[in-house]
Amino acid sequence: MLTDVEVRSKKTEVAITIAILMASIPLFLAFSLLVLSSFSKEMMTNLSLESFRFTIENWINVLQGKLAFTGGIRQNILKYTFNTALVALGVAGVVTLISALSGYALSRMNFRGRKFLLMFLLMLHAFPGVALIVGVYLLYRLSLPSSPSLVTTFSFMYVIVARAALEVPMATWLMKGFFDSIPWEIEWSAIVDGASRIRVWRKILLPLIKPGIAAILLFGFLAGWQDLIYVRTFLVEPTLATYIEANLEAEYSHMPLIAAAGTLYLLPTIIFFLTSQKLLLETHSGGIKG
Amino acid sequence: MVTVRLENVTKRFGKVVAVDNANLEIKDKEFMALLGPSGSGKSTLLYLIAGIYKPTQGRIYFDDMDVTELPPKERNIGLVFQNWALYPHMKVFDNIAFPLELKKESKEEIKKKVTEVAKMLKIDHLLERYPYQLSGGQQQRVAIARALVKEPGVLLLDEPLSNLDALLRMNVRAELKRLQKELGITAIYVTHDQAEALAMADKIAVIREGEILQVGTPDDVYAKPWCKFVGGFLGNPPMNFVESTVIRESGELLIGESRIPAPPKYAELLKKFDVSKVLLGFRPHDAEVIELKPNMPDPPMLVGEVFAAEPLGRETIVTVVLDDETYVKVFASKEQKFDVRDKVGIVLDLEKALLFDKKTELVLERAFEKKEFS
Repeated sequence: MLTDVEVRSKKTEVAITIAILMASIPLFLAFSLLVLSSFSKEMMTNLSLESFRFTIENWINVLQGKLAFTGGIRQNILKYTFNTALVALGVAGVVTLISALSGYALSRMNFRGRKFLLMFLLMLHAFPGVALIVGVYLLYRLSLPSSPSLVTTFSFMYVIVARAALEVPMATWLMKGFFDSIPWEIEWSAIVDGASRIRVWRKILLPLIKPGIAAILLFGFLAGWQDLIYVRTFLVEPTLATYIEANLEAEYSHMPLIAAAGTLYLLPTIIFFLTSQKLLLETHSGGIKG
Repeated sequence: MVTVRLENVTKRFGKVVAVDNANLEIKDKEFMALLGPSGSGKSTLLYLIAGIYKPTQGRIYFDDMDVTELPPKERNIGLVFQNWALYPHMKVFDNIAFPLELKKESKEEIKKKVTEVAKMLKIDHLLERYPYQLSGGQQQRVAIARALVKEPGVLLLDEPLSNLDALLRMNVRAELKRLQKELGITAIYVTHDQAEALAMADKIAVIREGEILQVGTPDDVYAKPWCKFVGGFLGNPPMNFVESTVIRESGELLIGESRIPAPPKYAELLKKFDVSKVLLGFRPHDAEVIELKPNMPDPPMLVGEVFAAEPLGRETIVTVVLDDETYVKVFASKEQKFDVRDKVGIVLDLEKALLFDKKTELVLERAFEKKEFS
């Protein structure tokens, strides 16, 4: 059987698929144990199927905010989910807005220090967020409003901006790449037609890099959603991450219940990756046709 | 409409001089072609007129108004790019309507104008499609419609045909020329294709390395090139150049072993000025290939042997290699048959032949005028 160069033979195809499956077994196992445990009366971490006894009690309890079967400790899990979503959406919005603007500038404008800035962005990206936390905390304390009623709101804003700042360098770099791929002529054409540069950016260029924007929104959202350290340090209210972390080793906690909370925490990641694949792969087939 | 005038326009990108002291006037309703090889600065010149680039030195005038510092949108120009630069996410209607929307014209007005221009370019049935659903020729029409819809004073075209296939290009060429004349719009057309420039333009400006070498009507530029480059760039095949030595006493040219009289219009000049090495230039159509027959009085001609003969249907291009390894191409009628290595003679139409100075490569009359000759 003859094949084109870009087509792999059946044999290698099968071999590669098997290798990928093998490599993902540990990950897949961990996730399935988590999900199964959330529907079970006991944890399944002993890898024995006998310990699985189906129940949806864990989920009911989690959604009602009960931490244990006994005692009256109740936490508002819906509020925590909302907090998490708020931080995640905030980070996604801030990262996308800033990187779409700065990526455009780096791609399309000539200014002093542009090259240096590009290198610097990569370096910034390599900087671990944990290493910065002392300084960021100092700024937090310095700018904390004196009125206690404002602290909660302020902490939300602060954590969003601080967490977004970690994502901005790489996002800007990516956005620059997306803008680079659009021919100059399209922008010139719009300018000659009478559009201002900000209008060209919004009306012509942004629609053309929709897949890029979707990707950065998504990564921003997930960065905010999964963040533990910044949220724990700055945010007054708990999120799902801090909730799980705080109760993981508490004496009173019922582990399958935590597993349910963990599954809940995983859901958006899974949903996003399943639904956005098409959007990420979509590109405009514009350009030249002979 | 608009007369465009460039005065001493220079554009540098860092150390690179893209346009060097250009002076050019494009009259109202004139179709001007900027012709040059790639990298010659012809597109830069167009973008300077459009206002996308700003000149390092010099001024640009539209009629009597100095537009040097005006942004592109205030120059009232229509610009068509080589890749057409359609907005891929907008339907054809919105593409054409875009300039009008920016002018904040009313919905009805926009609809009326877009339909009108679309009808003129025969794309009115495509208005609801996206650019990627159109063929190359249709996309190009959309680009032209978008440039024309705002009724510009000057239409600027940057190699608009080079992305079309050869057959389509010929058709669009005629249509574009007709359209320009019907609208009576000043048009500036950038191209590297000499045939396109000759076929479409009222005037051609030949550009090399940022310098405008010659401006003139297609006939002028074709028949009387000012320098070797212009002669060698226009025509297919281009002008032939043969190194020759001037024999002052007899007013003849010595080319290898052959002697031919110098073209009559140069007789005076050659007597007056002392120049020994010249380049003889002649177009492939301004010469004849003849078979050498023994025992016949030879007319004055260049002697060589056939390197190759390429029949084109109507006529044949014969490539002849002269004794000194110079190759020249001459058209012969299709009745004449040539074999490789045949000994042949080339008889020139001396009225149309030109002499160029060998060092400066200027045509002799200009070389003497400028006192630049070897």
